[in-house]
Amino acid sequence: MSGTGPRENVFATRMALTNMKLRLKGAETGHSLLAKKRDALTTRFRAILRKVDEAKRKMGRVMQLASFSMAEVTYTTGDISYLVQEQAKLATFRVKATQENVSGVLLPAFEVDRTPGSDFNLTGLGRGGQQVQRAKEVYAKALETLVELASLQTAFTILDEVIRATNRRVNAIEHVIIPRLDNTIKYIISELDEMDREEFFR
Amino acid sequence: MASHTSFKDRNLIAVIGDEDSITGLLLAGIGHINEQQKKNFLVVDSKTQVSTIEAAFQEFTERKDVAILLINQHIAEKIRPTVDRYQQAFPTLLEIPSKDHPYDPAKDSVLKRVQKLFGE
Amino acid sequence: MEGLFFNVNNGFLEGIVRGYKAGILTQNHYASLTQCETLEDLKTQLSATDYGNFLANEASLTTTIISDRATQLLVDQFNFLRSNAVEPLSKFLDYITYSYMIDNVVLLITGTLHERDTHELLERCHPLGVFESMPALCVATNVEELYQSVLVETPLAPYFRNCLSAADLDDLNIEIIRNTIYKAYLEDFYDFVGALGSPTSDVMRTILAFEADRRTINISINSFGTELTKEQRAKLFPAIGRLFPDGNNALAKADDIEQVRLVCENIPEYRSFFDNSPGGSQDLGELGIAAQLEDRFFRTEVRLNKEAFLQQFQYGVFYSYVKLKEQEIRNLTWIAECIAQDARDRIHDYIPIF
Repeated sequence: MSGTGPRENVFATRMALTNMKLRLKGAETGHSLLAKKRDALTTRFRAILRKVDEAKRKMGRVMQLASFSMAEVTYTTGDISYLVQEQAKLATFRVKATQENVSGVLLPAFEVDRTPGSDFNLTGLGRGGQQVQRAKEVYAKALETLVELASLQTAFTILDEVIRATNRRVNAIEHVIIPRLDNTIKYIISELDEMDREEFFR
Repeated sequence: MASHTSFKDRNLIAVIGDEDSITGLLLAGIGHINEQQKKNFLVVDSKTQVSTIEAAFQEFTERKDVAILLINQHIAEKIRPTVDRYQQAFPTLLEIPSKDHPYDPAKDSVLKRVQKLFGE
Repeated sequence: MEGLFFNVNNGFLEGIVRGYKAGILTQNHYASLTQCETLEDLKTQLSATDYGNFLANEASLTTTIISDRATQLLVDQFNFLRSNAVEPLSKFLDYITYSYMIDNVVLLITGTLHERDTHELLERCHPLGVFESMPALCVATNVEELYQSVLVETPLAPYFRNCLSAADLDDLNIEIIRNTIYKAYLEDFYDFVGALGSPTSDVMRTILAFEADRRTINISINSFGTELTKEQRAKLFPAIGRLFPDGNNALAKADDIEQVRLVCENIPEYRSFFDNSPGGSQDLGELGIAAQLEDRFFRTEVRLNKEAFLQQFQYGVFYSYVKLKEQEIRNLTWIAECIAQDARDRIHDYIPIF
């Protein structure tokens, strides 16, 4: 029997029927649009997932190289960690945030923003300066990988959130709003029919 | 967009790590000391209290100029519940390997989520 | 003549140091050390050598611990020598420690400049460079105070007095300070061994001249593209060595590594430093050449120090022993590092001693 499920609270008039039909139509268009958005985002998400996975593994290798270059520094120069810690003043290796638009979702991406010059130009002047220089470069490279990974990971977190929200909406439209509108329309039609029949017998 | 302005100002990379990792990263030029003499890095050794790490983690995640927070995985292990609870998009939290502790993907809080999503 | 009386005062210690020298790891030891899979293996292998059970009490092994303990062994040996020495050998041994002192003092200056608690720095100091009044340096809270106490209390006082004023400590880059003092130290040491007369002076002057040249070359190469001006650079060059004075003048004006190479061409022994690797003819680029350079410096240093043992009745053996042992500790740390980080292809890059 129609009209048993939940429905909108309306008077059964032809006017309401037209309205409901319009809303149903709207809901269906919305549903298909959102579903498309979800699919687009999910494709993107899958791609990012794969990249995150890959980049994380790559990071393992890159960081290993980097810490090895540190070992080379210690070999020639001795322990420089304290001096380096105390001499750090202004960051020359920074990141810049930019945005990318994926189906209406703004995904931030980090870019490396390096200013030339450094606080540690003279570190290892009398000994091991070249090793220090090299470690600097290797670590800068490693950082680039890390920054890339950070962008991916942020995209991942944000997309994850957006996809969840979109999914909720799609599901809500599909399982709540559309059946409800359907029910309302069926109810109005049956009410109108009833009224028609009453009219006929009068 | 509200978050738009906030993440434009974020341009620093903060680190919580062991001495060697920090030295390397500082050499690359990420070290920054701001007007309040606050550093953007914390050196953790065997004597560092867990509460100190927690405090630094809170501080770095609440700072408005930090874009990326790097943390050595073996240190993240010490404050694992806090790290796992961390869900914000900014600053981005990255677990990095250290000299003595090679990278273990199974422990990474983000990769754990990735695995879960692939698994479902 | 000197052979007649040398043993009266120093025969015992020379015997000791030559005995110590026999304990330096040989190729065979290194061969088995490089085969190790873990740091635990390394510990077992080392216990068969003169190192004995020096790691027995360590629960968890790291490369830092290995190098610290090994250094401690060297320091103990050195202190034994030092406490049994009489003038002028004791003075000579003191001179050896000055180079470590310079590093320690520089460390403390850095700490003071940044208003850190310098007490925690004490444990970071090299144990060979510890001197009695060092803890007193920690009391200083500002540079002025530090300068006064450094000036009065430490053996390094003359070096500071002649080269730097208190204001300099504030303004100059710490590396410039370090190298200025080191230059003064090398020159002073050079004079001192000269006063000791032959054969000590013959042996030591060769070694110190090389040390000075190595610093000169390094400083030149490392100052390319930095804020260090050419005048400042020239001031850091020790005024001894085989490159002095012509080579030093040319190096002070050099702009790239090629010019440095040309200067070194003039000294036959230094020519090989810039040879592009005889085995592999791959192009290493500037950084590669310079990195190799450091390696070759170490090799030459080891060779010179080994040669010091060929001469008897002189003090050079003490200096050489410390330097060789230092290289051995570096080698050990390197091997341990390679094992810990699983970089087997680089494990053979240590510098064999015997």
